[in-house]
Amino acid sequence: MNKLALVTTLGLTLVFAAGCANKSVVRYGDATAVETTDINFGSTDLQKVAAQMTDSLLLSPVVGTLTQNTRPVMFVERLKNKTSEHIDTESITDSISTKLLRSGKFRFVDMGRVEAAREQLKFQHDGGMVDPNKATQFGRQIGAQYMLYGNLSSIVKSNQDKSDVYYKFTLRLMDLESGLVEWADETEIRKTKAKESVGW
Amino acid sequence: MFKYLPKRILVTAIISVLSGCATFQLTDLFQGYNSQMKPVKAAQRQGDFLKAQNLLGEREQSNNTYVLSLLERGRLQFLAANWPASQKTFAQAYVQVENQRNKAKIQISKGFENLGAVVSNDNATSYEVPYYEQGMLHSYQALNYLFQHDLSGALVEIRRANLVQENALKAYKDELYKAQNELHNSGMSTDSLQGGYPSMVSAIGKVKNGFQNAFTFYLSGILYEASGELNDAYIDYKRAIEIYPENNYLQQDVLRLATKLAMQDDLASFQQRFGKYQARDSKGQGQVVVLVERDIINSKQDVGLNLPVGRSNYGLKFFSFSLPVYEGALTQHSKISFKSTEQSYQSNEIVRIQSLAAKDLKDQLPSLLTRQVVRVVAKEQVRQKLSREAGDVGNILASIYNIASEKADTRSWSTLPDQVDIVRMDLPAGKQVLQVQVNGQQKHIEVDVQPNRITLINYSAIGSYTSYQVINL
Repeated sequence: MNKLALVTTLGLTLVFAAGCANKSVVRYGDATAVETTDINFGSTDLQKVAAQMTDSLLLSPVVGTLTQNTRPVMFVERLKNKTSEHIDTESITDSISTKLLRSGKFRFVDMGRVEAAREQLKFQHDGGMVDPNKATQFGRQIGAQYMLYGNLSSIVKSNQDKSDVYYKFTLRLMDLESGLVEWADETEIRKTKAKESVGW
Repeated sequence: MFKYLPKRILVTAIISVLSGCATFQLTDLFQGYNSQMKPVKAAQRQGDFLKAQNLLGEREQSNNTYVLSLLERGRLQFLAANWPASQKTFAQAYVQVENQRNKAKIQISKGFENLGAVVSNDNATSYEVPYYEQGMLHSYQALNYLFQHDLSGALVEIRRANLVQENALKAYKDELYKAQNELHNSGMSTDSLQGGYPSMVSAIGKVKNGFQNAFTFYLSGILYEASGELNDAYIDYKRAIEIYPENNYLQQDVLRLATKLAMQDDLASFQQRFGKYQARDSKGQGQVVVLVERDIINSKQDVGLNLPVGRSNYGLKFFSFSLPVYEGALTQHSKISFKSTEQSYQSNEIVRIQSLAAKDLKDQLPSLLTRQVVRVVAKEQVRQKLSREAGDVGNILASIYNIASEKADTRSWSTLPDQVDIVRMDLPAGKQVLQVQVNGQQKHIEVDVQPNRITLINYSAIGSYTSYQVINL
């Protein structure tokens, strides 16, 4: 009897000791694998949203006619984050614009880099290092014809047993000249998390 | 000798597990949190926030008061105008709060903690951040984002603060009922406290619950208004005015937005309550909103009581208890006046954090008492056993331990302001100087008012120390 207790106690102590101090391991994983570490906005949500939106945009008949003979110039306005999480919305728009560029149907101007471009042109013209004849000219840039913009909103509910989060991502394409919204679509994501009943 | 070996190993194993995964400092058991915080608060009162941070000391992540130490540190960093550091600290605290919220329904580690608490006191349990403190955490975090010019980050924090208040409202009634039921089963009621325990009625004042914070709603309203979402702003102003109907700035805000959004029914009823409203011409004018933080919240105090505990197998017996309490009445703060070249404005109360804290403590009393009953009975059993086995020496030692370890849990976020006031004024655009009359001293604030925009000023008045931060939204 005593021996049994001794063995059990030693075993338990070992388990606890191992639990408190286990070695960390580094591994490579699949970047597109489904990630469910917690309920917050994660890489799977980002990939899903970006993929669905670009597919929908590229397959829509309106965009088909727009891009028949030309490659329209677009710019991405920022996404409005209306959720209760700090989400890097630039990362979502980056994914979307990269996918659209890769399709070869659109061209983009990058508003985030205007200052850097201006600096470079200034250097070419005033720096005294660049041959004036070969310097890139001011005022030759092409203006965007379309604007891509959107919202990301969420509804979060939770009680003692589970939490539920619902994301809605809306994306719209506006013709800057006419002001018409030429295309719009939305994606929804719902995630629920049941609380474990017993844990450490 | 050998017979006891497994038992001893078991005890050692439990102790090592306890200390390995969830630790508490021994000082916490015998020296209350309120007295540990005294020097920190003294430094804070002098405006020496760096010294206050140093006095705070570091706590390990495994320490059961870790999250509270993060809250105190974040608040002191906020006061020291170190927004990035404060933001980081509060973010860590939020992670802790979230972890706590997402924990399993039955926690094994909690069982160990409670075991520790039964033989010592409530300071051995992990600190659970009450709803009003969570609300303030997000409010300060929102201001941290704002002062770093990130309005959308600030709005995320505001939404989190609103979620906290919603969850609190949902959980409130259930928790109160459950706690009272448990207390009843343990053979006591809160009525038996009467006499020995201060009622805290004057500290609670007129707040109805310990989590609805009009300051958070108001901040939320301002930020929504600044981002052009007037409808959201209107809803938050309306929530705030339900709590503080007599605040004249709130009244004007509600009337102004109801007019702007053409909420005819609301406007009619608000005009009936607060008087006629005439929209003013705001051309070339900007709005200046001042959030005035007054003084520091009181710490909980330890109060000792002798109470009868009735249990079937013991009969009625008197035990000495230790309970936390907010003592004394509320401090009456004189209004602070802000004078522009044309007009003088008086600050008006938007939240009394002291009252929220007192109300929260009062709601917790039933569950505090239940734990206390279990504890005193367990300690009494230990004393009886020791006195039987080790005679008078054991009896005396056990009694000394019981008295020394009988400390109330006085942990609470102690660097928060006692009260927050607001002032809202329309000023002509351009550089303005405001004369501030605070605690008999004359100070001034320089603001650059932008036309048709909101300029937010966070003004701290702690003791004789004052400072302010200005941001154009």
